[in-house]
Amino acid sequence: MTRVRVTAPQSGAKVAPTRPYHSREAAEDSDVGQVFVRSLIRSQLRLAVVVASGFLLVLAAYGSMVALVPQLAQMRLLGIPVNWVILGVALYPVIGLSAWLYNRSAARNEARYRDLVEDK
Amino acid sequence: MNPAVGLAAFLGVALATAAIGFYGLRISRTTGDFYVASRTVRPWWNASAIGGEYLSAASFLGVAGLILLTGTDALWFPVGYTAGYLMLLLFVAAPLRRSGAYTIPDFTEARLQSKAVRRVTSLVVVAVGWLYIVPQLQGAGLTIRISTGLPSWAGSIAVVAVVGVTVVAGGMRSITFVQAFQYWLKLTALAVPVVFLLLKQTGADGSLALAEASSNPTGLPAAGLYQTVSLLVALLFGTLGLPHVLVRFYTNPDGQSARRTTLIVLGLLSVFYVFPTASGLLGRVFAPELARSGRPDALVLLLPGKLVGGVPGDLLSALVVAGAFAAFLSTTSGLVVSLAGVISQDLLGGSVRGFRVAAALAAVVPLAFAFTTDSMALAGSVGLVFAFTASTICPVLLLGIWWRGLSDAGAIAGMLTGAILCGGALVSSTIIGSAAPGWIAQPAAWTVPAAFAVMVLVSRATNDRVPGTVTRLMTRLHVPERPVATKRQLR
Repeated sequence: MTRVRVTAPQSGAKVAPTRPYHSREAAEDSDVGQVFVRSLIRSQLRLAVVVASGFLLVLAAYGSMVALVPQLAQMRLLGIPVNWVILGVALYPVIGLSAWLYNRSAARNEARYRDLVEDK
Repeated sequence: MNPAVGLAAFLGVALATAAIGFYGLRISRTTGDFYVASRTVRPWWNASAIGGEYLSAASFLGVAGLILLTGTDALWFPVGYTAGYLMLLLFVAAPLRRSGAYTIPDFTEARLQSKAVRRVTSLVVVAVGWLYIVPQLQGAGLTIRISTGLPSWAGSIAVVAVVGVTVVAGGMRSITFVQAFQYWLKLTALAVPVVFLLLKQTGADGSLALAEASSNPTGLPAAGLYQTVSLLVALLFGTLGLPHVLVRFYTNPDGQSARRTTLIVLGLLSVFYVFPTASGLLGRVFAPELARSGRPDALVLLLPGKLVGGVPGDLLSALVVAGAFAAFLSTTSGLVVSLAGVISQDLLGGSVRGFRVAAALAAVVPLAFAFTTDSMALAGSVGLVFAFTASTICPVLLLGIWWRGLSDAGAIAGMLTGAILCGGALVSSTIIGSAAPGWIAQPAAWTVPAAFAVMVLVSRATNDRVPGTVTRLMTRLHVPERPVATKRQLR
């Protein structure tokens, strides 16, 4: 790894050159390039909103299940009340799954963009 | 608890922290190293470090304490702390890494091309950092009082001293190693006693004998729907604006690896939070008197000694005390580093010497606060900091990353609205005390939308102030890095 000496980052804050200027970036400044960029941003935002809403729906479902079915507190799973299992354990795999799905799709969106831009 | 055991545990953690800090110092050479480890930290290291930094006094002591107090209502805290990282992954991780900025003020200035925005952001960041350090120091005070019998202030001062030495000496590079070590220490310190206690309580048929788990030791009423929703808004959207969390993402080499790191962090947090939850459940069954005596936050510290006597109990207690100090040290040092970054760049010219002065300033001010204020429930007071972050930094980040129409005037107006509304609610609920109505005690559900609304409306009205560089910057934030031709490919 090369080490880059960085002094007061204030000036670097204005788009520090962490990668060299490529002809691809020139293409991105063009009108056609911007169409691709805008569509990439839109699809990434749509993906994030969809995953977030899906997760929040599951969260709401779990929460209302525990609130509306008080009998769950009387039931036991390995001796632990079921409402504790639902809120204290079962939500975490949902979080992890959402994150994994998002990462896969976000990387796919970026790969699609790369193909579009670099094929020219 | 045996005072010698507690003291030995604290000294052990302090020495290990300092030792790893100095080891890091030897390989930290440039200003870049000093601030963000030159962006060469591997995902697993980085994820452990993020986990180590994030799991604070609130997670280590506060979650179990709050579960002891309020039962299943408190289970939303660990869920929210973890899901906050999911939101961070979805909306900010990769773009923020690609922005190439070091701190949140760097980002807002680059995005909006305005020094005024930078100054307002810096003020908010410093306020958030200070507010967040205070409960860490109060947790340290509580821990030292319970484990050694020394006065509380000794714990707070000890934490500030250790953090001061490591940060001033090593900067971010050594902090990364220290934080990663402290994640694993915290996990072990909670997991070993909990597993031990659970095994002890497991019946012959393999199920736990937890007959009274549903009992309510304090008789507190259950939280209403509004409280729960508002809490979740604060935790979900507060995490992505925490200054010490954001600065960590700059240590990833590119946007994709920032996302990969976040995925690992989510796994690490999910594993961790099982244990405070289990502690709280055990506490409800075996130590309900702690809730009634007003010391629920001490549950994690006292539980091993209570259920296991003799030398094994002492050893487990020592482990928990060590983990607790790891929590105070790691979160405080993470906050001090990121605050020092902001203070030194804006006030002191950005040199390494300025960073050191700023680090001292960042640690000493909250110490004064910790001395002059009473500690509340740790998880609750940290939750309020999340509400403040969600009302100020979250809107400017989300809109800055995803909306071209954000203007400098809109950003400032929105941040100030969020800060005044949320700050006002927090101050008045502190003054009113426990009689404060729910919408003041837990304000995020209305202050966050208000901040967003003001930011959008003022930006619309000042459309002409949207900087001309916005197209360029949005491209930079969202377009994947060109796969760098590695040496292997060139050969």
